[in-house]
Amino acid sequence: MILPTLELMQKGIVKVKNNRSSNMFVSLAGLGITLGIAFFVMFIMIFIMSDTPKDTIYYFFAGPLTNKYYFGNMLNAAIPLMLTGLGISFAFRASMFNLGGEGQVYIGGLAAASVCLSLPGLPGFIGIPLSLAAAVAAGALVAGLSGYFKFKWSTDELISSFLISNALIYIVDNIITGVLQDPESSLLTSRKLAEQFWFLKIFPPSNLDISIVFIVVLAFLAYFYLFKTHQGYEMRICGLNPEFARYGGINVKKYFLLPMVLSGGFHGMAGAVSVMGTQHMLFKGFSGGMGWNGIAVALIARNNPLAVIPSALFFAYLEAGAKSAMINADITIEIASVVQAVVFYLITAQAIYSFVQRRRRKA
Amino acid sequence: METYLAMRNITKIYDSSNVIANDDVNLEIRKGEIHALVGENGAGKSTLMKILYGMEQPDSGQIMINGKEVKISSPIAANAQGLGMVHQHFKLVKEFTVAQNVVLGKEPKRGGFLFDNHRATKEVAAVIEQNNFHISADTKISELSVGQMQQVEIIKMLYRKADILILDEPTSVLTEQEIQRLFETLRRLVSQGKTIIIITHKLAEVKGISDRITVMRNGKVVAVKETKDVDEHEISRLMVGKRIVFDFQREEGFCLDPVLTMRDVSVVRKRQKRPLLDRVNLAASTCEIVGITGVAGNGLTELEDVISGLMPVTSGTVFHNDDDITDMTAMQLRDRGFSYVPTDRLNRGSSIQTSIKENMIVTSHHDYLNKSGVFNREKISTHVKGLISEYLIDGSEHAPIGTLSGGNIQKVILARELERVKDFILFSEPTWGLDVASSDFIYEKILEVRERGVAVIIISSNIDEVLALADKVMVMYRGRVVLDREISEELTREFIGEYMLGLKDDFADTRVDAEGDSEGEK
Repeated sequence: MILPTLELMQKGIVKVKNNRSSNMFVSLAGLGITLGIAFFVMFIMIFIMSDTPKDTIYYFFAGPLTNKYYFGNMLNAAIPLMLTGLGISFAFRASMFNLGGEGQVYIGGLAAASVCLSLPGLPGFIGIPLSLAAAVAAGALVAGLSGYFKFKWSTDELISSFLISNALIYIVDNIITGVLQDPESSLLTSRKLAEQFWFLKIFPPSNLDISIVFIVVLAFLAYFYLFKTHQGYEMRICGLNPEFARYGGINVKKYFLLPMVLSGGFHGMAGAVSVMGTQHMLFKGFSGGMGWNGIAVALIARNNPLAVIPSALFFAYLEAGAKSAMINADITIEIASVVQAVVFYLITAQAIYSFVQRRRRKA
Repeated sequence: METYLAMRNITKIYDSSNVIANDDVNLEIRKGEIHALVGENGAGKSTLMKILYGMEQPDSGQIMINGKEVKISSPIAANAQGLGMVHQHFKLVKEFTVAQNVVLGKEPKRGGFLFDNHRATKEVAAVIEQNNFHISADTKISELSVGQMQQVEIIKMLYRKADILILDEPTSVLTEQEIQRLFETLRRLVSQGKTIIIITHKLAEVKGISDRITVMRNGKVVAVKETKDVDEHEISRLMVGKRIVFDFQREEGFCLDPVLTMRDVSVVRKRQKRPLLDRVNLAASTCEIVGITGVAGNGLTELEDVISGLMPVTSGTVFHNDDDITDMTAMQLRDRGFSYVPTDRLNRGSSIQTSIKENMIVTSHHDYLNKSGVFNREKISTHVKGLISEYLIDGSEHAPIGTLSGGNIQKVILARELERVKDFILFSEPTWGLDVASSDFIYEKILEVRERGVAVIIISSNIDEVLALADKVMVMYRGRVVLDREISEELTREFIGEYMLGLKDDFADTRVDAEGDSEGEK
């Protein structure tokens, strides 16, 4: 789990797309250089900390790609990250700091599981959309609450979303280990969902399910909404300069609420997809890090919904690599996380981008 | 006299907008002179000074000080070379004292890391003393007048031991008396061996204060002259290139129906004794320009905010035609067709990171949707391109507005607001900081919109502008209207000036309460 600093987050959202082609070049060249540096640092760290650096590096980089099972699972792990990344992108574009992703994912999972568990006789084609809707609504409601507080009393959404989310986690924990606890299991988990609610596996033996296709489409829709529709325009303008938006006759307060609702909806869906697609049950703490990692994914993607796709894949790749190196070589989970964190910090560092930009100006 | 500072063959191209801001520019400054850098907005003088002060890097060219080439990579490096800049928009922390502002970034420390407020105050007081300023080092900035804030900026540079002072449009925010005081200060500094570069486009001042002049036009230096050898017409001709004759013809009003009316509008802020606006009555009618003037801090800003719906009133009513619009938000007023060109162009009037296109459609984007709520890109693009060429804006539709010059930014705002104007428009400081050509362009547009029957309010601290344009002149003093008259020969600069300074009040006898304010005059 990586907690990005506020400063980094703000930097992430103030950057905007200026001149298209030159900006694209700067972004790509910047990303190339950063990745180069990041991996170089990673090599050095592995050489210092591992007794079998060659193996470690091999499993870190190639591990996730060596067989269908690892590869499919890596893609599968990217699914909820895409959703939370999209959710954060929306909020950050509107300058709304949704720090409650973790709780929103969790409650989304609870909502989906509750529908499936309480109506086990429902056919899949009704039950799946219904549970998804419940999850989206639950996430949207929770995040929307923070938006509403800001709308009504100018409460700082950064604090309120974080606090609400933290409180929720304990409540959901309590429900899982109480009402929903599977009496036949010794684990802290609910009963298994009925099989008709499970998502279709498309890449056996891995866990990858059909939802990835829909979510990629969703990312395109999100991009379209943000950049081609008038609501998306108003939302972005409110995020960039609320004074100007107000002056121009945009209902600024509406965009305290709307982006939070959308953001929460995406997070809720991430919870549902993870429960119905992968775990098929609701176990305590299943959301571990999805919400926080969504912030990382959105930052790498610079809050661009299309860039969220590769960004989530990259993040999942790093996770899978770390896991594979841990299992097959001699590094511990802590070291794997440190390596991951270094890569992440380097990628979000703006300095390299502005360096490329300056160089380009001179050229 | 020897050359002290020289900029040689400076070229600077902004690649985002593809504008050549400086094209092979040469500038020579002699020791101990006051050098005026003049030119219109967008002529490249600000860019040149930003390069000199290390805020921008040139694409080519060199800077020499005392015959040695220097590299200036940042304002800090510029300070180290003895350069100091006073920006047009002051960079001061309102809640800090004069001394705290002056030492910011170069604070005297106690024990290595604690801020030594006592020493800061003492050191700054010494600088103030040496240079004959009349400010106390421990006053808070928020208690100072605009002219005094500017002095603080100058003190800040003197504290940093600047030898060359660059002043960017220093007089644009000052009153007549403050300008005179500034000039005295500048002459005194020069007599103490400082060198001064002043960026301006006010010709009378150029003539009054400078020793030599460099004139820029379209990114190039077009002339370098001794001030005594040229007259104002000559400078103006050099700046503009061609002579623009503009005659403010006023036609007799014939259709005076009130459009916007304010009745006894007051704005009182909590814990503040004196109201920001005190029972203001105002009426703007069709085919009429109402010009409202006053010294900064006397209610012009508040009036702007109230009329535009961005500040709620404490009491009183506002009418649009016959509808009560008192508590309407900016959004509701926009729906009624209100147009508004604000004073603060960069924060309120535009979103600087956003493209010209996205700036232009902020009030009208609802009109460019197809049935499913998606933007019709071609329609927007045609519309924006049309406005760009109609208003002679120098930039493409995708250029972020922050890369444009001040005049061009104002034109973008003007294009957007005039495009949608219905029966009322508010201008606040429409030509503040703009050059002659841009100002004339804007005046032309204002008169044009009045011809169409629109009610116009111009809030401006520039008396000449108000007298030249307005059919009705109003003066604000301490939140009150102290003069409200039809334009006539009687209304001269001096006459208005007495009202602006509170020496006269047409409505004195209508105010029942006695002057209860404890605050004294500055």
